[in-house]
Amino acid sequence: MAHRALYPVSAPAQSAVLDRVAEIPWYVWCSAIAVTSTAVGLYWDISWHTSIGRDTFWTPAHLCIHFGAILVGLSSSYLILTTTFGKNQVGQASAVKIWGFYGPFGTFVSLWGGLTMLTSAPFDDWWHNAFGLDVQIISPPHVVLILGIFVLGLGGLLLIISEMNRANGETRRKLNRIFLYVGCMLAILLLMLISEYTGYTQSHSAIYYRALALAMPPVLVGIARASGYKWAATKVAAIYFVIWLLALWLVPLVPAEPKLGPVYTRVTHLVPMEFPLFLFAGAAVLDFLMDRMAERNKWLQAAVGGTGFLLAMIAVQWPMGNFLISPLAENRIFGTNYYPYMQPPSAYHFNHQFNFYEKSRTEFWVGMLIAFTAAVVMTRIGLAWGDWMRRVKR
Amino acid sequence: MVSLGSAHVGSPDVFYEGKAGPYRLFVTVRTPPMIPGIAQIEVRSLDGNVTDVRIAPLRAVGEGSEYAPPSDRMERSRADSQYFTGKLWLMASGAWQVRMEVFGTQGKAETAVPVPAAARRTLRMQNTTGTLLLALMLLLVASMIAIFGAAARESQLEPNTAASAQLRRRGRIAMTVSAVALVAILFLGNMWWNAAARGRAEQMMYKAPPIEASLQYTNTLVLKMGFSSWHDRRKDMLLDKIIPDHGHIMHLFLIGLPDLNPLYHLHPDQMSADTFAERLPVVAAGNYALFADIVRESGFPDTMTARLTLPNLPGDPPAGDDSETTVASPADVKGSSAFFTLPGNSRWELSLDTQGLRARQPLILRFRIFDNDGKPASNLEPYMGMGGHLVIVKRDLAVFAHVHPSGSMPMAALLLLEKQKDSGSSAMRAMPGMHETAPAEVTFPYGFPETGDYRLFVQIKRSGQVQTGVFDVHVGP
Repeated sequence: MAHRALYPVSAPAQSAVLDRVAEIPWYVWCSAIAVTSTAVGLYWDISWHTSIGRDTFWTPAHLCIHFGAILVGLSSSYLILTTTFGKNQVGQASAVKIWGFYGPFGTFVSLWGGLTMLTSAPFDDWWHNAFGLDVQIISPPHVVLILGIFVLGLGGLLLIISEMNRANGETRRKLNRIFLYVGCMLAILLLMLISEYTGYTQSHSAIYYRALALAMPPVLVGIARASGYKWAATKVAAIYFVIWLLALWLVPLVPAEPKLGPVYTRVTHLVPMEFPLFLFAGAAVLDFLMDRMAERNKWLQAAVGGTGFLLAMIAVQWPMGNFLISPLAENRIFGTNYYPYMQPPSAYHFNHQFNFYEKSRTEFWVGMLIAFTAAVVMTRIGLAWGDWMRRVKR
Repeated sequence: MVSLGSAHVGSPDVFYEGKAGPYRLFVTVRTPPMIPGIAQIEVRSLDGNVTDVRIAPLRAVGEGSEYAPPSDRMERSRADSQYFTGKLWLMASGAWQVRMEVFGTQGKAETAVPVPAAARRTLRMQNTTGTLLLALMLLLVASMIAIFGAAARESQLEPNTAASAQLRRRGRIAMTVSAVALVAILFLGNMWWNAAARGRAEQMMYKAPPIEASLQYTNTLVLKMGFSSWHDRRKDMLLDKIIPDHGHIMHLFLIGLPDLNPLYHLHPDQMSADTFAERLPVVAAGNYALFADIVRESGFPDTMTARLTLPNLPGDPPAGDDSETTVASPADVKGSSAFFTLPGNSRWELSLDTQGLRARQPLILRFRIFDNDGKPASNLEPYMGMGGHLVIVKRDLAVFAHVHPSGSMPMAALLLLEKQKDSGSSAMRAMPGMHETAPAEVTFPYGFPETGDYRLFVQIKRSGQVQTGVFDVHVGP
């Protein structure tokens, strides 16, 4: 196996091990594929629910999500078992030990995520029977699934970063690129999770910015900090933008029809998610400020970075909201002319007017205050997480 | 009194007998206990020449009644070629229709069956699922604590170095802190779960509007319908306005307690949006169970229930469509038939398809009416537009249903669909249940929802007089 070649028995010294991380181990690829499969599955599932509707455990979207869990489960188990019971003693030398088993730390984390995802399946099945089929995103079994997905992605990141922290030169650069990619998938998963609050019709409400401030700075700052690349957060946000935009343009080319009644809107193709956010604006501000202030007090960095991130997001998304509710956006480019099958024509107008989540000016400003506070705290958490990841070596 | 089902009380399944073009069908729709959920559909061809049935769910009226999702082919039984089964998803509570395409020796025909859907109960977790989930939860919590320990102890160690005593201590602290945090998270999660489950149950579970009955001007019964948050939350399902069902805005049944005797079938007038009034006929003092049937503009039926204690009331005998029945000796059904005698007038025979009644079994209750001399009665008239009415009450009042020859759904709901289809082969046009060949016979498709003792009140009209036959039946498991 490839990972055996990484830690030859004859070279146990630390420097030698650092040099010998010379190629991308197979399990890093498994992890990247698993996270991708899960993210694609989740997007597909959301689209499935708005265009086809009929739901079983065996829809391709669900299979895609759980393929990620199974791939990680199998590859992690294999890696742990071969590290523990194989003759790979140096593999053990760079592993952590949990319950007598050896393996890279990220592998255990991923395995936990995969197991949690699989646990959600019988829970969700029961919930559906008891309380009705998929009527909300944030239900207890879905939270278990989402937690599993995030931990799975997190494990992938830890697996890659531990290799990266022991590698040099070209291998390190390659691993760093995969690290950014997996980080981007994690950001995409988060953006899908908060999409109920970040629809363009809510872009003039504080809830929109609260959701962004809670979800985005930790992952952007954490990834950028751990990666050490210049403009890392901006790159992550840019990859997200391109992938999401391609999805908006390509997903509607796939034919689909609703298989559940009542059909309020005739749908002939998969319905995509909304136009992507200009997340790269906030990410670029974060990258710039964090780079400038790298040596300063962490809380000061968080205060300036978090505030800058949110101000940048408001500066781009607020006017973009105006554009997206206008008739100019009702086309294939901006995609505000897609309606889910369960949206009655009498409710189309809701897509072309703002939905004000806060019912008064005071509520709005309190919400904005919470958003800015969250942005600062979450940036600080991102810094701590990123710094911690930089030191993970096993 | 617990009101468990829409349409009726405790009788949520839909039974329909009618024609799809040239084909006579007996349709059973078993509505799911929770909405959204899956309805089980059973179709029996009564003429024996159907080869294929396709089904699709739509809203009964309004938005969503226009486009059907692609229809599903029903499965044809191998043992019985005229019996078809299928399932459909009902995604929201309210008035639905199951649209059917029927194929057979006489070509293709269409029909639609109204289906009221309303969530009735949540499902308890099975022990095996519960045990499995608990075991997985414990495993996940324990392994997460171990992961936190490893994170603090050795994840940042250079390869080939052993964790120092200080790091091992850090690992133990991390495990303790994470254990406390996880227990706290599980505790909060459990609180949230319970609240979410309660919230969903509260929002989803059907409740009939409350109704308050009072006596005014000596013998005028005034019914005031209260606010129902379930209905209010579903305004877009057209559950607000009340429409007449076979000519009456409300069908009110007063049933004497405790021995289900007498029965009053009355038709109050609507005084305002939520107030109904009826001048009562002569009423004997006693306790009464009150069942008030109304139909919403989408064809969705509500049966409101209340208890009432009445004094001896003066009044006129019931007139028009109103009726009063005091049972002297009800027929006791044993085996597959029973006779009920209306002294000096007629003899009624109830015959069943099967020997003995079983819960949840769809069947056709067939009543034949004979004159004193044993000849089939010749002078039956439509009673409120149809061959007869059947009121089914379980002894413990847990079940109440008001059934017609076309089935268990309100006629108003059928008419709404007929209007939509606007085709000639309607069940309504051919006076449902009044078979041309046997005018002295009236049939009702139904399935008793649970085991127990029931009383059946069959009402027909002869020479301008409403007559009631009374049968007691036992339904076995």
